[in-house]
Amino acid sequence: MTRWHKVRTVAAFEFLTAVKRPGYLIATFGMPLFIAAYGAMVAIPAYYAQLKDQEQAIYGVVDGAGFLQLQGDIAAPEVELPAEVKNAAGALGQTEAVKSALGKSNFIFRPFEEEPKARQAMIGQAIKGYFVIAPDYIDSGRVDIYTPDEVSMSGSDSRQAFANLIRERLLSGKLDEKLRHRVITPMADSKRLSIKRTGEVIEDDQAASILRLAVPLVFIILFLMSVLMTSGYLMQGTATEKENKVVEVLLASANPDEILAGKLAGLGGAGLLQIGVWLLMALATGIGVIPMLLTSGVQIPWMAVSLAVPLFIISFLFFGSLILGTGSLGSNMREAQQLAMVWSLLAALPLMLLAVFIREPHGSAARVMTWVPFSSGSLIMLRASMDPAFLAWWEVAGALVVLAISTRLALAVGARLFRVGLLSSGARPKLREIIRQARLAN
Amino acid sequence: MLIAQFQNLVKTYGDTVALRGVTFDVHGSEIFGLLGPNGAGKSTVIRILMDIIRADSGEVLVFGEPRRREHLDRMGYLPEERGLYTRLTVLDVMTYFGTLKGLPRATARKKATEWLDRVELPHVAGWKVDRLSKGMSQKVQIASVLMSDPELCVLDEPTTGLDPVNVRLVQDLLLERRRQGRTTILSTHHMNQVEALCDRVALVNKGRLVVYGEVDEVRRQHSLPEVLVHAERPLPQVPGIVSVVAEGDDGWRITLADGMKPADALAALVRAGAPVVRFEPMLAPMEDIFLRVVREEAA
Repeated sequence: MTRWHKVRTVAAFEFLTAVKRPGYLIATFGMPLFIAAYGAMVAIPAYYAQLKDQEQAIYGVVDGAGFLQLQGDIAAPEVELPAEVKNAAGALGQTEAVKSALGKSNFIFRPFEEEPKARQAMIGQAIKGYFVIAPDYIDSGRVDIYTPDEVSMSGSDSRQAFANLIRERLLSGKLDEKLRHRVITPMADSKRLSIKRTGEVIEDDQAASILRLAVPLVFIILFLMSVLMTSGYLMQGTATEKENKVVEVLLASANPDEILAGKLAGLGGAGLLQIGVWLLMALATGIGVIPMLLTSGVQIPWMAVSLAVPLFIISFLFFGSLILGTGSLGSNMREAQQLAMVWSLLAALPLMLLAVFIREPHGSAARVMTWVPFSSGSLIMLRASMDPAFLAWWEVAGALVVLAISTRLALAVGARLFRVGLLSSGARPKLREIIRQARLAN
Repeated sequence: MLIAQFQNLVKTYGDTVALRGVTFDVHGSEIFGLLGPNGAGKSTVIRILMDIIRADSGEVLVFGEPRRREHLDRMGYLPEERGLYTRLTVLDVMTYFGTLKGLPRATARKKATEWLDRVELPHVAGWKVDRLSKGMSQKVQIASVLMSDPELCVLDEPTTGLDPVNVRLVQDLLLERRRQGRTTILSTHHMNQVEALCDRVALVNKGRLVVYGEVDEVRRQHSLPEVLVHAERPLPQVPGIVSVVAEGDDGWRITLADGMKPADALAALVRAGAPVVRFEPMLAPMEDIFLRVVREEAA
């Protein structure tokens, strides 16, 4: 039987054992449900708050300056939608719905002759608040805003709507209709353009920017989650085998590196399956996002997307070998976790320095860290996603080679430590003895 | 044919010397007893054979060639400290161990079922391992090792914890393996099993090989010069016989002088007219040899 058969046998066993664990099933299917329930807990009150916000809100106006000339209730002028929102709504075929939901002002302004009457109306909850325009408004610009003594999130919206009303009335009859409209909404149809370092001019798409950041961010977070969760399974499984005294039977049947590789492949596969289920569930619930992304011309960072899986696998093997090799030296689960913690922290390093790398994805720090195997996977993803034009092909190829060589070394070192760790019982072996035994394991 | 050859094995753990140049061979189709007190180095020899640990120096040949990892598929191992995956079913664990030894999964499952029958535990196939009693677990582990029909099998204390009925069952399995031309290295402290099962033995003490050879020859070498003689009447005095002590109604235990061979003593008795019915050189029990050698080494 060749080595790969052994690896496959161990991998299949570890995979099936892992995915049948109640803890795994709960985490795989329970986590999205938990997040959905949590989201619902946050979203439902927000939804009702939004519905309430869309209800007509009547505000009083005491026009001390007398230029508004309100003859009864009047709605605030309509709001122009930003171009990005219009594009996205168009891609979804929801232009009218979005316009009707966001474009129409729900503020009504009701005139009052004097402030005490307005106050009584507010106390009687006939109005939500009121604005008092000072008689010398034209000179001073003073407007007093009266609202109930409670927390309100819609105050700025009502002020914005009232400001639009003031502008409209101040300009009424002084400018033609088009010019008046332009003064009120001076950038109704704006377009943001970006100039790349290559000189190419492209539309600066907010959605694309978010996507270019989201792809590496999702990669880094999922990778970290996978490394942390799987390393837990790896160490737990190894600790159980030491406890159950099965290790000698395993070592009498397969090489430590075959066992190590099999465990990594099996439990890594279980981790990948878990992530796959989560992504699938996220995709199923957010299925509408895909046509929006594709039809709205958002530039998907294909280079990063295509590198994600190979980088994930190589990086996982790299960290998994080191974590399992080091962790197996521990005499119990807690000691194993303490020993392996250094690798988990190194795996989290790109996430901790994310702000630096986002600010300068091709800066010196990012370039150097691309060649360091502990961070190269995350850095390649980040740089390939944020600005692929400035990521040279040789940097990608070189970093991949470095990562692959490092992974091979990590597997070899991990396997030796794994053999020493598996056979040690009781107290943790001393460093000198570990080195001696590891050398003998040639 | 030599199945395993241990050549001048040396192994140290820190400051402790576990093996000090151990050399012996294991022949094909035999049950070989690897004996020694606790901590003598037996498990180290076995672990080196199974490539679980590496010797500091020396060499192990298996099936006539330097031991390679590929040989492990032809070898079985029941370690002294053993166990099973407690949360899995017996059949799943046995199938896994079988596939690790190179059996296709379906074959491993079929063999596992057959071997559970052979160790009289067909009903536990679907049980979780943690439901098994100690004896059941022991038999399942023995079955797990033997199901791949290894050419060379190392069993470290296979009958510990088994009742006499199951000890006999295991012994029968080992004898059957020998009849089929398979080799077994048996590490045990039960000297009666050594006498009943083993063809040859090696006794290791303090990392050295102190006794090695065929069981009968070893017993002969370590026996006192005594012969049990059954005769129809008391034995006459003959030269070369130092003492005669009655044993039962028609038996006498005679002690031979130094250099006197049992065959010469028999000839002398017959010449002197002794009506000898049965003449049996007394062999020392393996247990006595074990104790004597270990105590002499300690002294």
